[in-house]
Amino acid sequence: MQSPLSSVHRWVWRDARRRANNLLRFAEVEADGGRDLVRAAEQTRDPLLRRLFLVHALDEQRHADLFRKRGLALMASLPVGPGDDGRADWLAPGERGLDDLRVEQERDGALLAFLHLSEKAAARDFTNYIAVLDGDPPTREVFEKVVHDEAFHMNYTHAQLLRVAPKDHGRLLWMARLRRLWSLYLRFAGALASVIGSVVLTLQYFVLLPPFALLARRAQAREPRGWAPIAPERNARGAQKRQY
Amino acid sequence: MKILGISAHYHDSAAALVIDGLPVGAVQQERLSRRKNDAAFPLEAIEWCLDHAGLSPEDLDAVVFYERPMLKFDRILVSALRAFPRGRGAFAHAMKNSLGEKAWVRGLITAQLGVRRDKILFTEHHQSHAAAAFLTAPTRHAAIMTTDGVGEWATLTVGRGQRTAGGPTSIVLDREVRFPHSLGMLYSTFTAYLGFAVNEGEYKVMGLAAYGRPTMIDQVRKLIRRTPDGAFALELDYFDFHTTVARSYSKRFAELFGPPRQAHEPIDLASAEGRRFADVAASVQAVLEEILVDMTRRLRAETGLPDLCLGGGVALNGVANARILAESGFERLFVPPAPGDAGSALGAALYADRIHFGTPDRDVPDHPFWGPSIDDDQLARLAGEDGLPSTTLDDAALVEQTADDLAAGRVVGWMEGATEFGPRALGHRSILTAPHDVAMRDRLNRDIKYREEFRPFAPIVPIEAADRYFELPPGGARLARFMSGVFPVRPQWRERLAAITHVDGTARVQTLERSMAPRLHDLLEAYGRRSGMPVLLNTSFNLAGEPIVNRVVEGYSTFRRSGIDVLVAGRSRIVKRALAQATLKEELA
Repeated sequence: MQSPLSSVHRWVWRDARRRANNLLRFAEVEADGGRDLVRAAEQTRDPLLRRLFLVHALDEQRHADLFRKRGLALMASLPVGPGDDGRADWLAPGERGLDDLRVEQERDGALLAFLHLSEKAAARDFTNYIAVLDGDPPTREVFEKVVHDEAFHMNYTHAQLLRVAPKDHGRLLWMARLRRLWSLYLRFAGALASVIGSVVLTLQYFVLLPPFALLARRAQAREPRGWAPIAPERNARGAQKRQY
Repeated sequence: MKILGISAHYHDSAAALVIDGLPVGAVQQERLSRRKNDAAFPLEAIEWCLDHAGLSPEDLDAVVFYERPMLKFDRILVSALRAFPRGRGAFAHAMKNSLGEKAWVRGLITAQLGVRRDKILFTEHHQSHAAAAFLTAPTRHAAIMTTDGVGEWATLTVGRGQRTAGGPTSIVLDREVRFPHSLGMLYSTFTAYLGFAVNEGEYKVMGLAAYGRPTMIDQVRKLIRRTPDGAFALELDYFDFHTTVARSYSKRFAELFGPPRQAHEPIDLASAEGRRFADVAASVQAVLEEILVDMTRRLRAETGLPDLCLGGGVALNGVANARILAESGFERLFVPPAPGDAGSALGAALYADRIHFGTPDRDVPDHPFWGPSIDDDQLARLAGEDGLPSTTLDDAALVEQTADDLAAGRVVGWMEGATEFGPRALGHRSILTAPHDVAMRDRLNRDIKYREEFRPFAPIVPIEAADRYFELPPGGARLARFMSGVFPVRPQWRERLAAITHVDGTARVQTLERSMAPRLHDLLEAYGRRSGMPVLLNTSFNLAGEPIVNRVVEGYSTFRRSGIDVLVAGRSRIVKRALAQATLKEELA
């Protein structure tokens, strides 16, 4: 079935430079996700999970290499132009890594539930991209390889979730879903707050600060270049109580 | 007197604990959080330090932060105002960034640790660097130079330190160069221009420089002028780091040096573009060295002292350090194992101990091993759980077995004792191999470290044999103690030391004294008996993008994910068993 967003995906992936930039960004995210999985492997006391997380981490590293190589190849085929414009980042999400999950604070069950949903979402997104990449068989092939691995990741995380939390897996999955929603909300709220903050501070900068800017520039003009002596009191005992 | 030092919030946060004048523990946050260059408030590092000493926060006499946060905020704010109206972005960023947590350090420490506000002290950023360099060095009276990107306002300071055995200590910094004029920022700007991460990729610029010729030295000199008093000033039209957080260099800079390298583009040294980047790196390296040599020469003439202690991130530039030693007139140059901001946690604690509290001087042990120790039994347990055979041997047998492994061309992950404090693996968390052929270097780059081919690997050699293989000037062996200098490999050995000889015939050698790491020293000797050369390639035990391993489980996971053949942790040893990943997947799924 075609994704309702297929026309958006088609637009995002149509431009070769944007495609290359997205692939390079995916490479970074996969590599980050791999490092989080390594951390998970180092934290768990379950030997089977440790081995699986390490295998998974190696897959993520391989995906990062695949995305990076393809992104570079695409970039090399383009005329020299602007770098990453960042326009399509949020329109074409890859795997989100483990977001800001503190792997070391997670229990195995919660982590597996989170991973399972993460892999599922990534597999769905990547499948959608495959559907709109008819014009770029090498990139399509990269996604096909990755999606093949995602299937394994989805399956093992689910199977292991059933093993480590046989009575609790449903609740853990729901908790993970809520957590992903909460994380999405925080990301959105953080971005919005940042924009509002920037607007207010920029207004302040132009409305309140010009006289201070003038003073600061005049003071700068008086500053000699080169060495500045350090006042003895800065080296003195007792100066360590000050924050300024 | 129990004093905790903290550095945090910009890069490489760390904690260090000093009790009765001596360090008892110091660790970078990244080694515990496993996030490379972790700049967060180092709660885990603090907890480790306190646990290690069996203390709780209320037992502390003081907690010292490594810089003055309000003074730093002042610099950020004033810089944004000076750049009016172009500084609007920097202003908004600085306000959001600093007013959240960074400006309220006293409150943060009180909230996190529960210590009384009057126990919280602050040193200046460059005082912390100076103390880290001077108070850990085996010298009683020395000139001091600290240089980095920027602290509060200072970017470079000079002064002198004096210690009296069992008596008072003084560290007096006489003068400073102030932001935005900064050698560190100059170098970091080129780091950004060459497509590497600022505050992380500077050593890549140094490695790349060896492949180039300083053909653009005149252009670099246009960016930085010497002032009549012997200092320097940047020509700010070429830079943007002081007006915006988005860019380090201006359009004029790019016009002068050509298009910058995109971060994802590989550097192909066979191409004209790759050679241009190498020439740019060589040019800025040459100018940096030229200025540092001149400034230290003047400092030597002014102080008349034979010893120089060098601190700050620029002191990680081993090529420049070697030139300072050779040309400044100083007889000995001391660079601590952690000259950057992480080391300032220790510097701040020592400064408070000696200067603020006036505690009598004590010699600080001359080694870098202040972090967590490994659990000797953990490797055997992990291997057992995964069905890998492990062997436990006594020290002598383990050394002989490992020497056999190395002589057979195997790559060995080597973990023992306490982890190093600082960015370099100095023998307790190392990957070791034979240093003889280029194929080994390429294998390490390709299968283990996954890094750029132009980056060199470092050798480690017993101090008593160092001079045979490397051209060490007087004082060179000392500078090489913590891998702080780059020296020529003797021409007759370059072919047999091909894996560690950089393209310009040099190596960032570590000279190892037996007392610092006796077992590794034994290993070097045992390897020497087999190969005729007691020299090994020593690179940090980590993979690209990861911090150096700390616990055995991290060494084990690195071993499992890379081409390392043998892992030694304490007295346990395991060997890689070939197991196809596909099979593993089928077996496990």
